[in-house]
Amino acid sequence: MNGIEPWHQVNWDWRAAGNFIGGGSGTGLVILAAIASLPGSQGVLYWPLGLLGAVLVGIGLFCVWLEIGRPWRALHVFFHPQSSWMTREAFVSAILLPVTLIAAVTASPYLPLPGVAGGTMWLAAILAALYLFCQARILHASKGIPAWRHPALMPVIVVTGLAEGCGFLLLGTALFAGSASWTLALLIGLVLARWLSWRRYLAELTETGAPTKALAVLNGATPMINNVGHFAAAVVAVLALIWIDAGPWLGALAGLLAIAGGWWMKFVVIARAAFNQGFALPLTPVRGQGEAGPGDKPGWRN
Amino acid sequence: MTRYVMVADLRRCVGCQTCTAACKHANATPPGVQWRQVLDMETGTYPQVQRTFVPVGCMHCADPPCEDVCPSTATKIRPDGIVEIDYDLCIGCGYCAVACPYQARHIVHKRDLAYGKEAMANEDKRFDEGRMSVAMKCNFCQGRIDKAKETGQTPGIDPEVTPACVNSCLADALHFGDKEDPDSNVNKLLAENQTFRMHEDLGTDPGFYYIWDKNK
Amino acid sequence: MSTSKKIAQYCYQCVAGPDFLTVKVEDGVMTEVEPNFALADVHPGAGRACVKAYGLVQKTYNPNRLLTPMKRTNPKKGRDEDPGFVAISWDEALGLVGEKMREIRAKGLRDEHGYARVAASFGGGGTPTYYMGTFPAFLGAWGPIDFSFGSGQGVKCTHSEHLYGELWHRGFTVAADTPTSNYILSFGGNPEASHGVMGISRHADARDRGAKRVQIEPHMSVTAACSSEWVPIRPKTDPAFMYGLMHVMLHEMPRERLDLPFLTDHTGSPYLIAPNGYFMRDPVTHKPMLWDTKRGAAVTFDTPDIAPALEGSFTVSGLEVGADDEEWQHEDIQVETAFSHLVKQMEQYTPEWAEDICQVPDGCIRRIADEFVSHAQVGDTIEIDGEILPLRPVSVILGKTVNNGWGGYECCWGRTLLACLVGALEVPGGTLGTTVRLNRPATTRQASVAPGPDGFMKYPMNPTDKDNWQETPKARNGHDTLVPLSASSPWSQALGPTHFAWMFRKESPENWPEVSAPDLWFVYRTNPAISFWDTKAVTERIAEFPYIVSFAYIRDETNHMADILLPECTDFESTQLIRVGGTKFSESYWDHEGVALRQPAIEPLGETRDFTDIATALAEQAGILDRYNNAINKGAGGIPLKGDHWDFTLDTDTKHEAEVIWDAMCRSASAELTDGEETDGLDWYKENGMRTRPISRLIWYLFPEMKKQKLRFEMPYQEQLYRVGKQLGNRLHEKGIEWWNEQLKEYEPLPPWKDFPGIWEQATVNSGGDLKDYPFWLLTSRSMQLAWGSNSSIQMIDEVAKNMHGHRAMIMNAGRAAEMGIEEGDLVEIKSTLRATKGRVALKQGIRPDTILIQGQFDHWVTPYSKDNPAPSMNTVVPMSLALTDATGSSADIVRVAVTKLAGAA
Repeated sequence: MNGIEPWHQVNWDWRAAGNFIGGGSGTGLVILAAIASLPGSQGVLYWPLGLLGAVLVGIGLFCVWLEIGRPWRALHVFFHPQSSWMTREAFVSAILLPVTLIAAVTASPYLPLPGVAGGTMWLAAILAALYLFCQARILHASKGIPAWRHPALMPVIVVTGLAEGCGFLLLGTALFAGSASWTLALLIGLVLARWLSWRRYLAELTETGAPTKALAVLNGATPMINNVGHFAAAVVAVLALIWIDAGPWLGALAGLLAIAGGWWMKFVVIARAAFNQGFALPLTPVRGQGEAGPGDKPGWRN
Repeated sequence: MTRYVMVADLRRCVGCQTCTAACKHANATPPGVQWRQVLDMETGTYPQVQRTFVPVGCMHCADPPCEDVCPSTATKIRPDGIVEIDYDLCIGCGYCAVACPYQARHIVHKRDLAYGKEAMANEDKRFDEGRMSVAMKCNFCQGRIDKAKETGQTPGIDPEVTPACVNSCLADALHFGDKEDPDSNVNKLLAENQTFRMHEDLGTDPGFYYIWDKNK
Repeated sequence: MSTSKKIAQYCYQCVAGPDFLTVKVEDGVMTEVEPNFALADVHPGAGRACVKAYGLVQKTYNPNRLLTPMKRTNPKKGRDEDPGFVAISWDEALGLVGEKMREIRAKGLRDEHGYARVAASFGGGGTPTYYMGTFPAFLGAWGPIDFSFGSGQGVKCTHSEHLYGELWHRGFTVAADTPTSNYILSFGGNPEASHGVMGISRHADARDRGAKRVQIEPHMSVTAACSSEWVPIRPKTDPAFMYGLMHVMLHEMPRERLDLPFLTDHTGSPYLIAPNGYFMRDPVTHKPMLWDTKRGAAVTFDTPDIAPALEGSFTVSGLEVGADDEEWQHEDIQVETAFSHLVKQMEQYTPEWAEDICQVPDGCIRRIADEFVSHAQVGDTIEIDGEILPLRPVSVILGKTVNNGWGGYECCWGRTLLACLVGALEVPGGTLGTTVRLNRPATTRQASVAPGPDGFMKYPMNPTDKDNWQETPKARNGHDTLVPLSASSPWSQALGPTHFAWMFRKESPENWPEVSAPDLWFVYRTNPAISFWDTKAVTERIAEFPYIVSFAYIRDETNHMADILLPECTDFESTQLIRVGGTKFSESYWDHEGVALRQPAIEPLGETRDFTDIATALAEQAGILDRYNNAINKGAGGIPLKGDHWDFTLDTDTKHEAEVIWDAMCRSASAELTDGEETDGLDWYKENGMRTRPISRLIWYLFPEMKKQKLRFEMPYQEQLYRVGKQLGNRLHEKGIEWWNEQLKEYEPLPPWKDFPGIWEQATVNSGGDLKDYPFWLLTSRSMQLAWGSNSSIQMIDEVAKNMHGHRAMIMNAGRAAEMGIEEGDLVEIKSTLRATKGRVALKQGIRPDTILIQGQFDHWVTPYSKDNPAPSMNTVVPMSLALTDATGSSADIVRVAVTKLAGAA
């Protein structure tokens, strides 16, 4: 029944997905860059990666700016920190981006201030984590979209952000010629965690009930997400650990696969599986005489 | 305290869509946008079938997810329970629309005309640039409710200060009033009948009650 | 400075009106329609108007409106011909029409075949009258006009109800006494879609107080949705269901559960039936006789102080008078009462028998019969305005397709008889007629009651006796010749077999005169080119008309063939005062009567003119201005301008402005309603909207008038119809007409069940179809939003109508569709043996697997907006045929079809 069974929301499209993609990968990368800044991280050049993370977050925010109906009122986004995770995300981004920039610049050879760089990079990482958390909460607070509001989606968003960040780190490692066995191990761990969290999300969403079409979309997309983003990424990462000579490039490939899997996953969740609540009747009314009839929740499983 | 609520008697509603049309007139909503609409819902399997007409729109929740998520504070809950939108604050981000489990919010980015290219006199007269690209929804005809304070009339009783959908309802299926007033029309209906609210399990505390049977 | 005001209006787009509203005008622009609560105490709909009225703002400002008169430049007419309309001035337009009218008057008002040279067709149920100002006065002044070119009547209306309802209880339309009824059996009745604001609110109130309505129909309409129970009956088998109910009531229940006094004293049940099927009559007075148990003898029905026997067999002598005054003298023969004949006839129709036909379980039929009788409260009374009346809160209503076409007679008879069995006809709570159109005077139903010779109400049958039969039809549809029941009121032409006017235009049947095209055809608020059956054929016939004048709001399929388009001011731009209240169509029965005004809310758009001014100009052009003014003075505009103590008559030689005419009408109405005390004119009504006075609710019921005049309801035995049918047969056969023989068989005194679905099945076979290939019954059902008023071309109405699942689509049973691999939204072809239509599928559980339903009937190909929103239409696929026409001249919207999914088009 049109207009009764859940239909796909029309307000957030690829641009919104772009924010979760850019924001997730970007913040993941900033966090990973901070880890890479630790001594003993085997020489990973972290400042360009931190910068790239900030750029990715910025691209995501630009996507949102493109999406909103009244872009010249964008600053109104800061008006509701009391409860809006979107406002909170905006506030965090307002600090995250300059802090990351400072960290990157002061860690770079162009304005080397090692005393500042280390601390700000960690501050950036904390802010990035907050930002990522905000993104997870933004979806959770979207009560109108059953596939988003489910709490099990939050770990997926966080873990995939980290996995994508790790993927970018591996790409960077290949580019900047650092050795990266810990990053490969981390990627394997994150990909495994993402696989598990995705599995849990699907299982719990199915268990608690969701629009049939949303489940169909998510289940339909899962083989590709798993094969590319989880299994292939993990296998290639393992190969990279074994085959030392090709390690950086295999690592980069593993990273790419992890990123692709995560991006596709988020695109599917935001722009394909975002069926709304629809309408339901717990029972049907009595007309004149007789008893109430059984209700229905059209278009839902459970 | 005041909390304005809507009560729809599902036993009486016939799905005529007069309220839908009256709302479109009262609020000059563009083609395709209906702040009030009546769903035509079928349940059961042939030949044991029920068909129910269900008026829906903004449920003016006491715990409105749209208000929670709104980053600009454009969406506010008034002391009288009406969830309103300040069109001058709204940035049109659509977050409220995905947060609303009642599909009650609409954002229109392009001016749409009933007959394509040429605007009718009434469309020109009532076009409001301020509602473009921002979130819109039923506001219980809040202008009328506010007028009640000046006139001393009672919303839900006096037509001038009652939402257009309620006034127009041919079947007297739609009722409006103050749930906090123990003597109000809606409280009487709620006391005498069995009701449910849509998606009550989501914890939004909606201000829209559906009567399905009298008290046994 | 901005201005804002609310202007009172009425809406009478459908017969369930009028309803009231105000339209808000801001700075000269109409913006909002709202209820008119100032009239809530008087209007049974509480001052509210239905969804359709909200479309009138868009209707006015519709950019597709015609705003200047137009003339055709392409002399060729047809669907594929571009009319080449060009804008012209009013002077030119009126001059052209005037020239044509004067030419006709010079030639003579009737053509060589005896048909009126001028024909006119108006839309549904006479509602255009409430928008055409004083045009009725023009029509009256003109002389003979042929109204018999149908635009939906017969196949689209509750035709059988109109004729039989008037015959039996002055019920041109029949409704439940919903404010009092507690149990309503509805055979396809659709009050939630068709009975307007008053019907909707009254039925909702009935549900609130626990009234039960059982809806018996093949699909689940909005009315079924709002009913306590839905019984999905096989199409066109409703009489079998009713006969099953009657069997239970007559053969399985104790007789005392029925209203025996009502049957005995207020119906023809005790009348004695002689061997040839006619009443046993007194040889001297020719009055029907009954058996008086007091005297132990047969006496005439009007003998004082008698106790008639309701049933039984008696030895009686008397006279039997048949068709064409054939007489039989009987001596001491055994005769039975009409009721006994009924009991005997109904014996065969057991619920088990009915189950086989209707596909409704016998237990369901038995239960419903029991509920019906239990709710009837036989023996109870109620006081209304000081009068004690029977209280029988059970009623039976019928819907379209049930009470038109073959089987319509049986359904109307069954419905009326079910009411009689429990004494629930025309009494509080029961089944009521609400308007008269065929009997005169039509001021009230009561006024139309006059005694006939046999103790029943007199009915103005078209004569069938040798001397008076209308051998050569005067109207092109032949109703006066073929359909005695259609009577001879101004409405009768529109109630005959109106499709015959179209069908016989092409080819008259054997021994039937040629049907000529009218020299001039006026069309207003109707679009037969899409709203009839076999619309392709109708369109071809319209294209043959030499001169068509259309009062047009927008271009449409019918005025595509017009020669002149005259744009009138629409609903909110013009002035008219109409009578309201009393009892009218559908459930429009009031506690008040009076008048209400429609008035210009804005300046008319473009060159559009008030219809009254157009009518006056046409009268002047035709050279009949004095007669036209005279007709207005006499009341042809709705209100006579002269009463006992007042006189507002207009000078007959002057061309009066619309405002002057309506001011006089307002003044006269004020005087009439106040016995001359008030004479408020147009300005007062513009401010106040309406004036009414209270009336007694007793006028809702015919029973008190019947009792007063000592008349019986002509039930159950149809001796009069039986005779009329025989006589009609004699006349037709004398003339060599054999093609009406099947229809003649309908004139049965106690109609037996016939295989009604089989008639349509046979039509499919006869037109070359194999029933296996056409497995579905295609039906239609009223859309409240889209019906009447060209609403499919109003964007907002179309938009809100789509909230109802299945609009602009073909509704199909979801289970059956799954078997056929058809999904929601698939494009399918719906094909009868005539032709095919296409549409999207809407799946529902609430429809029989053997039935499909198309709600809209709008295969527009000219009307702006509508033509760009394609929808399937059953009008394209329903054949127009003699075999599918019943004795009243109607058929039904039903046809056997095939459904095929169109490949790759989902």
